[in-house]
Amino acid sequence: MKKILIASAFALSAATAFSSAAKAEDIYFPIIAKGFSHQFWQAVKAGAESAAAANKVTITFEGPNTEAEIDKQTDILNAAIAKKPQGIGFAALDSQAQIPALQKAADAGIPIVAFDSGVEGDLPLTTCTTDNVAAAGAAADKMAEAIGGEGEVAAQIHDQTSATGIGRRDGFVNRMKEKYPKITIVDIKYANDALKSADDIKATMQAFPNLKGIFASNEGAAIGLAVAKKESGSKVVAIGYDSGKTQKDAINDGTLLGSITQNPVGIGECVVNSLAKALKGEKLEKVIDTGFYWYDKANMADPKVAAVLYD
Amino acid sequence: MTDTTLSTARTEKSGFFTLAALQKAVAFVVLILLLAFFSLFAPNFAAWNNMVNIMQATAVNGVLGVAVTFVIITAGIDLAVGTMMTLTAVMAGIILTNFGMPLIVGIIGAMASGAFMGAISGVTIAKLKIPPFIATLGMMQIARGLALVFSGAKPLYFNSTPNYKYISPESSITNLIPGLEIPNGVLVMFGVAIIASIILNRTIFGRYVFALGSNEEAARLSGMNVDFWKIVTYSLSGLICGVAGLLVSSRLNSAQPALGLGYELDAIAAVVIGGTSLSGGRGTILGTIIGAFIMSVLTNGLRVMGVQEEWKIVVTGVIIIVAVYVDIMLRRRA
Amino acid sequence: MPSTSVTDSVLIKAEAIEKRFPGVHALKSVRFDLRPGEVHALMGENGAGKSTLMKILSGIYQPDSGTIEVSGQQVSISGPRAAQALGISIIHQELFLMNHLTVAQNIFIGREPTRGMGMFVDEATMNTDAAALFKRMKVNIDPKTEVGTLTVARQQLVEIAKALSFNSKVLIMDEPTSALNETEVGHLFAVIKDLKSHGVGIVYITHKMDEVKSIADRVTIMRDGAYIETLDAPSTPISKIISMMVGRELADATRADGTHGREETLRVTGLNRGKFVKDVSFALRKGEILGFAGLMGAGRTEVARAIFGADAIDSGEIKVHGKTVKINSPQDAVGLGLAYLSEDRKHFGLVTPMSVRDNITMASWPRFTSAKVWMRDPELKKTAGKYVDLLKVKTPSVEQETRLLSGGNQQKVVIAKWLLRDCDILFFDEPTRGIDIGAKAEIYKLLQNLAAQGKSIVVISSELPEVLRLSHRVIVMCEGRITGELDGKTATQESIMTLATQRQAKAA
Repeated sequence: MKKILIASAFALSAATAFSSAAKAEDIYFPIIAKGFSHQFWQAVKAGAESAAAANKVTITFEGPNTEAEIDKQTDILNAAIAKKPQGIGFAALDSQAQIPALQKAADAGIPIVAFDSGVEGDLPLTTCTTDNVAAAGAAADKMAEAIGGEGEVAAQIHDQTSATGIGRRDGFVNRMKEKYPKITIVDIKYANDALKSADDIKATMQAFPNLKGIFASNEGAAIGLAVAKKESGSKVVAIGYDSGKTQKDAINDGTLLGSITQNPVGIGECVVNSLAKALKGEKLEKVIDTGFYWYDKANMADPKVAAVLYD
Repeated sequence: MTDTTLSTARTEKSGFFTLAALQKAVAFVVLILLLAFFSLFAPNFAAWNNMVNIMQATAVNGVLGVAVTFVIITAGIDLAVGTMMTLTAVMAGIILTNFGMPLIVGIIGAMASGAFMGAISGVTIAKLKIPPFIATLGMMQIARGLALVFSGAKPLYFNSTPNYKYISPESSITNLIPGLEIPNGVLVMFGVAIIASIILNRTIFGRYVFALGSNEEAARLSGMNVDFWKIVTYSLSGLICGVAGLLVSSRLNSAQPALGLGYELDAIAAVVIGGTSLSGGRGTILGTIIGAFIMSVLTNGLRVMGVQEEWKIVVTGVIIIVAVYVDIMLRRRA
Repeated sequence: MPSTSVTDSVLIKAEAIEKRFPGVHALKSVRFDLRPGEVHALMGENGAGKSTLMKILSGIYQPDSGTIEVSGQQVSISGPRAAQALGISIIHQELFLMNHLTVAQNIFIGREPTRGMGMFVDEATMNTDAAALFKRMKVNIDPKTEVGTLTVARQQLVEIAKALSFNSKVLIMDEPTSALNETEVGHLFAVIKDLKSHGVGIVYITHKMDEVKSIADRVTIMRDGAYIETLDAPSTPISKIISMMVGRELADATRADGTHGREETLRVTGLNRGKFVKDVSFALRKGEILGFAGLMGAGRTEVARAIFGADAIDSGEIKVHGKTVKINSPQDAVGLGLAYLSEDRKHFGLVTPMSVRDNITMASWPRFTSAKVWMRDPELKKTAGKYVDLLKVKTPSVEQETRLLSGGNQQKVVIAKWLLRDCDILFFDEPTRGIDIGAKAEIYKLLQNLAAQGKSIVVISSELPEVLRLSHRVIVMCEGRITGELDGKTATQESIMTLATQRQAKAA
């Protein structure tokens, strides 16, 4: 373990030395995301980088290959701690499993700001996040409105175990149950990529010919939803989540009714700003809601919305 | 020992009724049983448009399965087929969208880049003597990493190449035979399978593939250039991955650089269910296609039935083990 | 059934054992018995059925019919574990030890003493017990040594210790001295004598006459799957044993006629590779059959593989048809008209799951293609059929899977492959191994016909009658060197054996 730690610390320091000739007096925050290949994280990164420039601090932005590699993310965290930074931004893949590693950082007096999803307990000074439950609830409201408050709906969820997957699923399902008694959720499927989501959704459409609407819980699921709807010629009301070019195009051509976007740029900014504030001794809120937007054909061009959408 | 003792054991036509054929038949029977089962117990399953759904869901896995069938018959393995597929999709995106080249260049580019990556796997295996499992495990990561690097970790879209959708989701055959709305991607899969089957059974390369997988040392001592044919095999596998890359990106109208991990295992499962022996020397393309269909019928059918996602995964695992068990039983019998 | 008074003093009694394999009648009503405290040698040519019989006694094969009694009780030995339970252990020619485990771990594998409620292996007890076994055998081996670091001779002693740890009363040893030097053989014999004195019965399979004379009490001779006779070992002359083994007086054995061309087809000069090929030089002429004789491990196979390009050579020159050539791979060798027919046909000669047609044509496939791509299968079939007829391969069809053929017919398929490839320099490594006696004669005739047609043939054989029968000239090797060359007409078993055991005086 120690060997791995040293090795990865070495790798990390080599990487940062390569990317920016960091001077010793520079303020340095490693920002550890859940991944980096997803568009969403690229947007978070962009926000973090612009805030870093504004605050004149150095950051690195990294994450494991996939959002299932909790252990890899913990290794990255350990390596970051070993560098003794002035603060760490961390998007926990598991809200509990990584507490011991974070405790080490806290013991070393390194301020921690959580983002995207929370960490249980009071180790992070604050958490910059979207309220997934409220956001998915908003999607449910839009769906209910579009289908006239009654009928069968289904949900295509990107993951059964992660906080965002659970939060969006429950937010959507619970809002339907509480507010719209005439709407029944007939099917909930899980798939982690666009192609599999598309095939899943087509099977769902097959199984429930009277289906009125489908909610897809992230970008990949939403692409799958758009593909499935186009291929099958189905008329269901389709609502997505996050953004990306395919989803934006699908909203423009009417395949998707609309979508929920988080504010990834805002999340990125929030992390770096909060760390900078903490360093100055400012007091922080326990949770900073970075907000979400409903967007559809009507408001996509609105500068406030367009700013948080990515291609 | 006389002629008669031998000829009673096997008849003149024994060549047609080989083990592989027998197991292919078993897989086919399983497929028919699954279709019958779901038709009875899953309402709406048996509709024609759902059959089209199933075919379309089979296309990518079927093509990847064909790619890896060649490698597995040589007693090798290719774990990189999933991520090579992704990389070739990204290459198509770069060629078509970033460079604005004509469609045919994108198609050739995707297949050529797949063949090139496959050739590298082949060279590491044949020349550096790295076991196929390790070499292609490495290639799996390399291809995945390159796909992310080349795409800038962003999806590449094909909006500037409107004809790109004719590779998979559009149906051209419906123009010839109205009502027969089979997407082109499905026809591509069958086309790849037929060509692959001809290559495997009718060419000298195909014969070498079987000889290599049955007894590499004997093949070598027969004067065969074992290293060369291994490299050809992995290159062909990569090239076919390029076809899969075109199919997946055409259907999603985008090259998704993060997709593809885990597809290699689905492809290998299809091959194994279809009766190709992981120990090499035996296998058929038709078996692989049937194997891929078994997997997608299972997925689709269980979904239409409303079986929980988690159980669907369990059932797929059980089917793989049962298929291999049948394989072992048949081999012991013969 | 014999009277009980006799069975009391008999460890094993096997009667009327029958065993058939596809195409081979391996054992024909064979009997065998073993008394406590005796060494019973089992002799016979390759394929006589010795190993099959012992595999039945050790539970590896099941007999088709016949009875086996162990200590007077009729038993059925269902598997190796059952044999062990009956006190029967076998030490195979190739040892089955795990090189990376210690001596003690090997001995007690699968039945390790445990402590801590069976959770942990009790290494200490294991080592003590192993040490006790070695003490009993009066040998000095550290139970904690890794087996892979021991010499073959000492590994064999580990196998014996393992057998003793099962309290075996019967120990079957299959050519135990084949890889040992003289001192080691002496040690082994001391251990065997000691085991005898403890009442252990030993079945000793060997080809070596001197060993039989020096250690065996009785000798049973088998030939072509049949029981011939059991004799008192010390009082029976060697010549009688040999004649019973071969079924004819050696003097009657057919000899090769000495006519062959003078044209040199292959000349090897100063060939070196590793420790098995040292400074080997010889020439081969057109139409000649050149025998390579020597004991196991003499380096004959290695010479052939090195010439054929299957193993890289360290140094040496090879001339084919007078031209100096460089052979880096079997592909090069085949291109020059060389062919190597391995003794291990299943691993190196045939692709057994493929058809007779494909195996015969394999080395010539590129010739049977259109546009260098498409296989012309009908033509393959026709050509393969021609060779099947020519060599009288017994197969129901050329589409038959090769693995279903008998050993002799498989060998013919391999020969056909090289004839079709137009190879004119053929290396036969143990051409009749695993082939029954009737087919052997056919293979001999085939080789002689090939030579008469002008092919140059090298025959590597451990069966001296075979070497004598086929060869125009005989080259004898020992420890990687050529120790002599004999004329086929005048060579004798004795003259070959003298050269085959002519070790280099150890310099250091």
